[in-house]
Amino acid sequence: MKLPTLSMDALKKVVAALPEDNLAASRRAALDQLRQDGMPGSREEDWKYTDLSGAVAIANRWLEAGAEMSSAGVAVADDIVRTIDADWIVIDNGHVDAQAVDETVIAGVEIKCLSGSVEQLTPSGRLGDLNAALLRDGLRISIAASTELARPIGILIVDHADSAATVSQIRVDIDVAENCTAGFIEYHTSSGDAELYSNSVINLTLGDGSRADYVRIQDRDRVHEQTGYQSVTVGRDAKLRHCAFDFGGRMVRNDLVIDLANPGSNAEFAGLYLIGDGQHIDNHTRTDHRTGPTESRQEYRGILTGKARGVWNGKAIVHEGADGTDAEQANHNLVLSKNAEIDAKPELEIYTDDVKCSHGTTVGQLDETALFYLRTRGLSRHEAKQVLTRAFAQTIVGKSPISSLHDFLTDRIAGRLDQLMQETDA
Amino acid sequence: MLEIKDLKASIGGTEILRGLSLRVDAGEVHAIMGPNGSGKSTLAQVIAGHSDYEVTGGTVAFRGKNLLELEPEERAREGIFLGFQYPVEIPGVNNAYLLKAAVNAKRKHQGLDEIDAFEFLKLAREKMALLGMDPKLLNRGVNEGFSGGEKKRNEVLQMAMLEPSLAILDETDSGLDIDALRAVAEGVNSLRAPDRAIVLVTHYQRLLDYIEPDHVHVLSEGRIARSGDKSLALELEEKGYDWVREAANG
Repeated sequence: MKLPTLSMDALKKVVAALPEDNLAASRRAALDQLRQDGMPGSREEDWKYTDLSGAVAIANRWLEAGAEMSSAGVAVADDIVRTIDADWIVIDNGHVDAQAVDETVIAGVEIKCLSGSVEQLTPSGRLGDLNAALLRDGLRISIAASTELARPIGILIVDHADSAATVSQIRVDIDVAENCTAGFIEYHTSSGDAELYSNSVINLTLGDGSRADYVRIQDRDRVHEQTGYQSVTVGRDAKLRHCAFDFGGRMVRNDLVIDLANPGSNAEFAGLYLIGDGQHIDNHTRTDHRTGPTESRQEYRGILTGKARGVWNGKAIVHEGADGTDAEQANHNLVLSKNAEIDAKPELEIYTDDVKCSHGTTVGQLDETALFYLRTRGLSRHEAKQVLTRAFAQTIVGKSPISSLHDFLTDRIAGRLDQLMQETDA
Repeated sequence: MLEIKDLKASIGGTEILRGLSLRVDAGEVHAIMGPNGSGKSTLAQVIAGHSDYEVTGGTVAFRGKNLLELEPEERAREGIFLGFQYPVEIPGVNNAYLLKAAVNAKRKHQGLDEIDAFEFLKLAREKMALLGMDPKLLNRGVNEGFSGGEKKRNEVLQMAMLEPSLAILDETDSGLDIDALRAVAEGVNSLRAPDRAIVLVTHYQRLLDYIEPDHVHVLSEGRIARSGDKSLALELEEKGYDWVREAANG
């Protein structure tokens, strides 16, 4: 496999042409770092199964053509904003509308453009460097202490690639102060026939005693590519409830990095990927238990058809002194075709004694006995398969922390599964 | 109602049914008994349409239709019900949802509208009360974490809701304590009707103390070795299965 190589000269030119605003120094620093480190490649353990060369090729074509940005498909955005109840902020092909940001008023919440509010971007890995180098602008969301949000804040990431290769960088820093309750929906969608690569960085800091309910939905066009990095730092006695749904995308890599740095830090996270022919979806999670007692529970599930490729890698690191750690990992896969492939890997690194850790992964087909049972009750083979696959997926909807999304997710999952099963039967 | 002639069936190349013939008429209750491996469960599975079994000879007609040409779901919609020896646990599929889907699949086949939600619930609760079932089981996953007795009662509940023309109950008595056995038997007896036939597949005579059969058949090596009335079951209880086997061979 050839290593993905970014066209650094073109990148340098594009970065130099970006405005001399507050972010300029961060862009240059990130560019230097990226030139030194290069893009992640398949020789590295963490990138063994996911090949970025497609995304890098799109980036190179876009950079060499002068890094033009077209406007995104606002119609799609309208539809989602109408359907899902949230206070929405739209990021359109990586573009943040400063006026719209100013006009968004939510009690206890301050939303600003990153270019107007920070001097230095937090380093967020190598893809974070690519993101920082090319970032036009991002969002900074700050939630004041003891705020209880009445409804979730929605971050709608909508990308569009009309006629030429397009790349977008999305960045949101969220700072939740102490004793808050806040919900977030991160929704990715994309349209257009041309190549698209989108790269997002979301950094969430959760103050002591706070709770964040976070749902990420990725429903991109099936020819588009995406990498997403999210870090979460969880405060003392703070709770993260996170759930991620991947429906679309050709190559999608999600990194969720959770830092349980304080006594009582707690994270429950789950994910569901429904992938068909030609799709590659990789979920990497890393949980650092830095002190005790801290607790993490994760369960990812996948349903795969056609030549789908799924990757799940759940790493939990229990650092020295993190006594009283409780970590649980599970990954279950339902494989509906002969050609689908799943690489599931739980990883535990434990450097202390007083811990409770468990993990389990399964890969299986639909249970023929259950199918027959349902058919003897009058359901057709197709209906029986539908019932069983939906039930398998619904477990994750049950873990999703924002209950107002449940009906939406249930419908979307049913629709996506019908699509996948049609492909399997065809 | 059901006419089986010279039925031969095998699984994985091993012949289990070796020329079995049986006629079941409306209004009758038949008990099919026999030692382990005699083909009792195979017969039940073949009638329900399990694809693991290959029918290599003979015919099965249900109300004049060739049953062997129908898919399992078509047989169910035509009015055949199989109560499983080992009811399947299906986590995540709501028990009420399955019951309703099953009732509606049959109604659709009959050209009827879907059952009214209120009517469905009322009916399900009534039947559950008759079977001594906790109404909470309606909202659990199908058989998920049910005790052995609860699973068997759930089978009878499905049967009661579906009102089949032909019900085959495969070892519904196995693993039941006496209270559960009584409740299940009461449920089955309440479904005896002139237009319905019931086939009880059982290893032991015990169930027949509660559900009185019109005909008793003893299976041996894939064929019916003896048929008689309920006294045959008692004779069998007394003399054991070897007696039948010897009689069949001699």
